[in-house]
Amino acid sequence: MSRVDAPVTNSGAGRLSPTALVGGILLALTVLASVFAPVLASSDPVKPSYSRRLAPPWGIGGTSAHVVGTDNLGRDILARLLHGGRVSLTLAAISVVIAAAVGIVVGLVAGSGGERVDAFLMRLADVQLALPVIMLAIAIVAVVGTSPAALVGVLALSGWVLYARTVRANVLTIRRLEYVEAAYTLGASDVRIIVRHILPNTLAPILVIGSSQFATMVLLESGLSFLGMGIQAPRPSWGLMLAEGRDYLSNAWWLATAPGIMISLVVLGANLLGDGLRDLLDPRAG
Amino acid sequence: MSDETPVGRRQFLTLSAAGLAAASLPRAARAQARRSGEIVAGLSERMLTLDPANHYSISATSVHRHMFDPLVDVTNDSKFVPALAESWRAVNNLTWRFTLRKNVAFHDGTPFNADSVVFTIKRARDNTKLIKSFVYQDVESVEKDGEYAVVVTSKRPFGSLPAHLTMLGMLPPSAGRNEDAFFQKPVGTGPFRFTSWTHGDNIVLAANPTYWKPGQPKVEKVTFRFIPELSTRASALRAGEIHVIDRVTPDLVETLKGSRGVKVFDVPAVEAQRWIFQLAKEPVKDQRLRQAISLAIDRNVIIKDLLLGYGRVVDSPVPPGLIGHTSLPPKAYDPEKARQILKQAGYSNVTLDFVLMKDLYPKQLEITQAVAAMLGEVGIKVNIKNLEIATAREQRSAGTYDMFFSGWAHMPHDPDWYFGQWFTKAGSEKLTRYNNPRVEQLIAEGRVPDPKVRQAKYEELERILWDEEPEIWPYYSVAIYGVSDRLRNFEPRRDYYVLLSDVAIA
Amino acid sequence: MRAYVLRRLWQSALTLLGVSLLVFVVLRVLPGDPAKMLLPDGAPQSAVDELNRQLGLHEPLHVQYGIFIRSVVRGDFGQSFQYRAPALRVVTERIAATAELALAALILTVAIGVSLGILAAVRRGTRYDYASTFLAVLGQSLPNFWLGIMLILLFGVALRWLPTSGFESWRHIVLPAITLAAFPTALVARLTRSSMLEILGRDYIRTGRAKGLAERSVVLRHALRNAAVPVLTVLGLQIGTLLGGAVITESVFAWPGMGKLVVDAIFFRDFPVVQTVLIFSATIFVGLNLVVDLLYTVIDPRIRYS
Repeated sequence: MSRVDAPVTNSGAGRLSPTALVGGILLALTVLASVFAPVLASSDPVKPSYSRRLAPPWGIGGTSAHVVGTDNLGRDILARLLHGGRVSLTLAAISVVIAAAVGIVVGLVAGSGGERVDAFLMRLADVQLALPVIMLAIAIVAVVGTSPAALVGVLALSGWVLYARTVRANVLTIRRLEYVEAAYTLGASDVRIIVRHILPNTLAPILVIGSSQFATMVLLESGLSFLGMGIQAPRPSWGLMLAEGRDYLSNAWWLATAPGIMISLVVLGANLLGDGLRDLLDPRAG
Repeated sequence: MSDETPVGRRQFLTLSAAGLAAASLPRAARAQARRSGEIVAGLSERMLTLDPANHYSISATSVHRHMFDPLVDVTNDSKFVPALAESWRAVNNLTWRFTLRKNVAFHDGTPFNADSVVFTIKRARDNTKLIKSFVYQDVESVEKDGEYAVVVTSKRPFGSLPAHLTMLGMLPPSAGRNEDAFFQKPVGTGPFRFTSWTHGDNIVLAANPTYWKPGQPKVEKVTFRFIPELSTRASALRAGEIHVIDRVTPDLVETLKGSRGVKVFDVPAVEAQRWIFQLAKEPVKDQRLRQAISLAIDRNVIIKDLLLGYGRVVDSPVPPGLIGHTSLPPKAYDPEKARQILKQAGYSNVTLDFVLMKDLYPKQLEITQAVAAMLGEVGIKVNIKNLEIATAREQRSAGTYDMFFSGWAHMPHDPDWYFGQWFTKAGSEKLTRYNNPRVEQLIAEGRVPDPKVRQAKYEELERILWDEEPEIWPYYSVAIYGVSDRLRNFEPRRDYYVLLSDVAIA
Repeated sequence: MRAYVLRRLWQSALTLLGVSLLVFVVLRVLPGDPAKMLLPDGAPQSAVDELNRQLGLHEPLHVQYGIFIRSVVRGDFGQSFQYRAPALRVVTERIAATAELALAALILTVAIGVSLGILAAVRRGTRYDYASTFLAVLGQSLPNFWLGIMLILLFGVALRWLPTSGFESWRHIVLPAITLAAFPTALVARLTRSSMLEILGRDYIRTGRAKGLAERSVVLRHALRNAAVPVLTVLGLQIGTLLGGAVITESVFAWPGMGKLVVDAIFFRDFPVVQTVLIFSATIFVGLNLVVDLLYTVIDPRIRYS
């Protein structure tokens, strides 16, 4: 989507808004907590303990030994949340990076590679978009198996198109600008044009997309785990914990609520931060 | 009486029959008057077809039993009782003779007789597109012997034929004229008639007022809804929208018991859980390793702590009540001995792949995780592979697994199919790769109709299996049902069927 | 203009053909055997082979695809392996259910999302802005099946105000529609807000205000019309999400729609049903996007996709 438009005045640009700061802090806190998981939670997140099954959180009938309670196999939920956070956040982050990388490359190629290459790549994107992500996930997992690599592949696959389209649009716009045309006639190569003129302009929207895509990836991972396509037991991940907690919602609601809240906090943080980044960096983006 | 008088013998008999019918009418009418209300059941598995010969699904069997009658019924104690066949006997090792019930009619008025039986069984055998067809490939001939008797001969002894027939509803021969049209609005002899089917959502049945069993059905209408999501199913029961649900998990029992208007029924099922080994693959082809694995598993913890008591200790590969069940010494839990055996046999750093078919059995993932931890205690590492069913089965065929979570519910209440499939060389070739000629011989000898012979053969082969441990039988499952307290006379079935023809609603 | 329309139609046709080929091939490459899924676990290999033969799966791939395309052109999408009924019929029975749910969710999305977005934009910086932004972000953050089950527990079991599952009356659609609409509503709300803010800051709007045009008129006639562009884009993409995200919602609420149908069909390896559903939904998706693209040219003639 490209528009040639008159410049716009925008009030409030140049500073990160308070809500964005809150978002950033939330995100940072959860990331830190996950990184320091073994220090913060001493219980084993994987080993079962049958005598302590389904213990409620501290304050609603539980003890301080298990602040957020225990799950259906007696494992400490806090420990699983923190260790699971490592898995879920890492997967989401890697997927975003890969999706961005692939998307940028495809977008650059499509934008500067000529009409036929462009048409082919965009049709490919359309075909993929026409199929729901869940289907692609099931197919990929069935062929390749349920490894974390497959999961990253699926998540990245679900996200690259947005980057590709944005970058492509930018490329097409910028190529037409006068000073770029001038650079071409002066003999500058494509690569140089890309690096010096195109990439800097696309950086801002990429960051914006990336931060909200991060949120989407976390949610997608939980959805895929709900359907059984995600991380395999007994390793914890937030999505898997949600799926496992599904059957206990009426008698042990904290099993699913805890990871649900964590996911919501992370997504909230990423979205607020993304909004703030957008307001800051790229006021034109809609 | 001469044949010229106005009332001939045939007419006399007809009039008498009518008179008898009229005399019995008040009783039938009284039975009719007792019918009232509507029951809604929530089943966990979708029903995919209205053809009794074209599925092996438990929920479809439940539903079909209301529309169609089989020749033979099986009680909750695994006893075979007359349904559309009044009696049956084995004429010799290869021949069964069924004497049929008279005065039964299909919902469209067609009388039930030997033609129906011949048609139904031949169709199952000859139409190889039908899912149940492979069971009847051994049938050599199906002949009627008069209007109300049928003789079935088979190529090999087929002692389990009556058991399999409990799952084959009888169809009118007219179904053969246009099967597609017939199964749009099927007609059987059962206690309920087909009303409507919304694919994937529900099926509605209406009472059959002329059902041959007195006092049945007890309600006017039955609706089966298909709700695979357990929490949704349970919520509907708790909210009073449906009256019975199946496949309740042990963790939900307390919640259901505490809900207003809900009761919980449970009964040991005709299902033994089994964890099979790939018997042609290192290292589990070594019987010592299997023995060590078996000793390392604390079955009591699984039953008590994970299944919350909703499991039973196994004393035979065949569940109690079925022919062939016997009492063998339960398997011990002795991790120390397991470690010794592993050390003596030279096993250290063993890693095994344990494959599950996703969401197939309740708590299977939890139990597997617990078992992985137990095996870890004796030095065996387990990789859990929770795969979608199709992929898991492929891996099983290809043999790329070490252990595989694979239950077996004896739906026909007879172990012959189980033994024939999993413990003969041909049968288990793409499954467990089991191979023991003595066992195979016993299975063949156990196919004869004589129950005493069968019991003896099965007991002998089970003793062999118990020692060899080609599979682990950790527990017998328990079937748990959630039931509204408005229902009367509900019987929790061991075979997971939900049967409502004898159930009333207050 | 006409050239543009024709070009878009051609692109859509290519996309659909690509989808059909991709789906067809991927299904047959997947490990797993339809016959094994239909037959019980203890069926002999001979039965499996025979059933596969009956289902036509022993032919080479290109032969199968040829047969498939020829049948589709005649309107025959094959027989569902599971249901033994024409796949087209099985799918069309479920389309109504999904369409109902998607439509209800769409109405909620547009009504609530756009309103919240406008409110937040015109009352920027006030507590209305913060509140609706917070609600929006919350809607985007909650996993939808968790939301669904919580709604069932609250409104269906505890309060007994609404039915917990099923399909009969208008009351059955409330909870699933809310669950399904949560994410798109939030997205649309935020997008409307930012889009409106951008427009409201523009020069010609300020000019309009300066000229004394009523605030209402400014907002509704000029701002909204221009803000509609990105919102329409998202709505177009959301149709696809609604159809795909409906899978989880349909599972939780036992809603007999296409989403659940296709996931079950994939697990079951019911090729004809999967093919039919995916081609259908791809057609709807591509068609709707085409319509949206064409609407753009009407709303803002300056826009052209290159």
